[in-house]
Amino acid sequence: MPRFLPRFLLGLALGLAAGLLYGWVIQPVEYVDTAPNTLDAQYRTDYVLMVSETYGAERDLGRAQLRLASLGPEPPLEKVEAAILYAVEHGSSSDDLATLNRLAVDLRALSPPTQARSS
Amino acid sequence: MRSSDWFPWILGVGVGLLAGVFYAWRVNPVSYTQTDPTSLRADFRMDYLALIASAHAGTGDLGRAQARLAVFGAEAIGETLGALAQQRLASGYPEAEARALAGLAAALGERPSGLPLSTTGTPGATPVRPITSTPRPVRTPQATSTRALTPTPGAPFQLTRQQLLCEAEAVPPRLQVQVLDASGRGVPAMEIRIIWDQGSDRFFTGLKPELGAGYADFTLQPGFAYTVELPGSSAMVTGLELETCDAGQGGTFDGSWLLVFSQPAR
Repeated sequence: MPRFLPRFLLGLALGLAAGLLYGWVIQPVEYVDTAPNTLDAQYRTDYVLMVSETYGAERDLGRAQLRLASLGPEPPLEKVEAAILYAVEHGSSSDDLATLNRLAVDLRALSPPTQARSS
Repeated sequence: MRSSDWFPWILGVGVGLLAGVFYAWRVNPVSYTQTDPTSLRADFRMDYLALIASAHAGTGDLGRAQARLAVFGAEAIGETLGALAQQRLASGYPEAEARALAGLAAALGERPSGLPLSTTGTPGATPVRPITSTPRPVRTPQATSTRALTPTPGAPFQLTRQQLLCEAEAVPPRLQVQVLDASGRGVPAMEIRIIWDQGSDRFFTGLKPELGAGYADFTLQPGFAYTVELPGSSAMVTGLELETCDAGQGGTFDGSWLLVFSQPAR
């Protein structure tokens, strides 16, 4: 029994290491068949920018909202605001910020006014 | 070593593997975040490509569109976009989207084939990330993008050539159309309407950029007389029917028709 525990623990460590080696190196996870809402923040932001650029030409707010819906259940305005935040943090050009902001402004005009909270 | 000496090892490894799998699948399962567009499901990926094309149609920024497409790493992305345009047109998607795809396909197809798709270099290199702190290139007017959005301004198109082609026996007979501007360059994203006894259809130039930005084709069926027109133009061909070509040794086959619509030079 005194020799059992060290061997078991060593075996356990080897088993864990083998599992991680298999999962991370030999057969790592491949991301396939994902949806746009799983995109990295950089690509999410660029997606929103593309929607904004298209909106700038089409001026079709409904279609812009439809395109933004692919990014998840959050309200469209939130997605655009998140994109603006990311763009600001990463020093995007003023042209891009203006493009994003134009869509945000138009979406904000659609949103109901924020209710004052009584505490 | 006695067999009982192996028991703790085997038990440890077994429990370790089970614990690892349990951790990976239940405690801390894979969460699909921080993916890139190449991992998108096929239909979402097509939507993504269409959005790149629509944004290009809106801004005319071909460099940025190329940078966005570079992440997909496909060398024949122009052909993919052209095929997608046809598919979307046939599936009833907004026409503007199909035109945008055709316009981008044509803009990419017009580039010399030796040029890499990415502005950064060879395939496989880290693609340009479109939204970065890198200063955006000054937006200069680009002939490719403006032509993709609007028909070339100028005089109305005229039929300048109608020719029976007896060259390719193997392919089904087609109506091949070339739309050229006043300088002789192909005009992409031009709508062509074709009408026959029992129906009508429309197709666009630029969907097969490898054959030219102003090229479009349509498979002709025997026994029909077709009328072909460019909407918004007086250019029209009526009574177009299949005609047989001599295949030699007494054989015949249906030939294709070539129509060239051009803007007269002013």
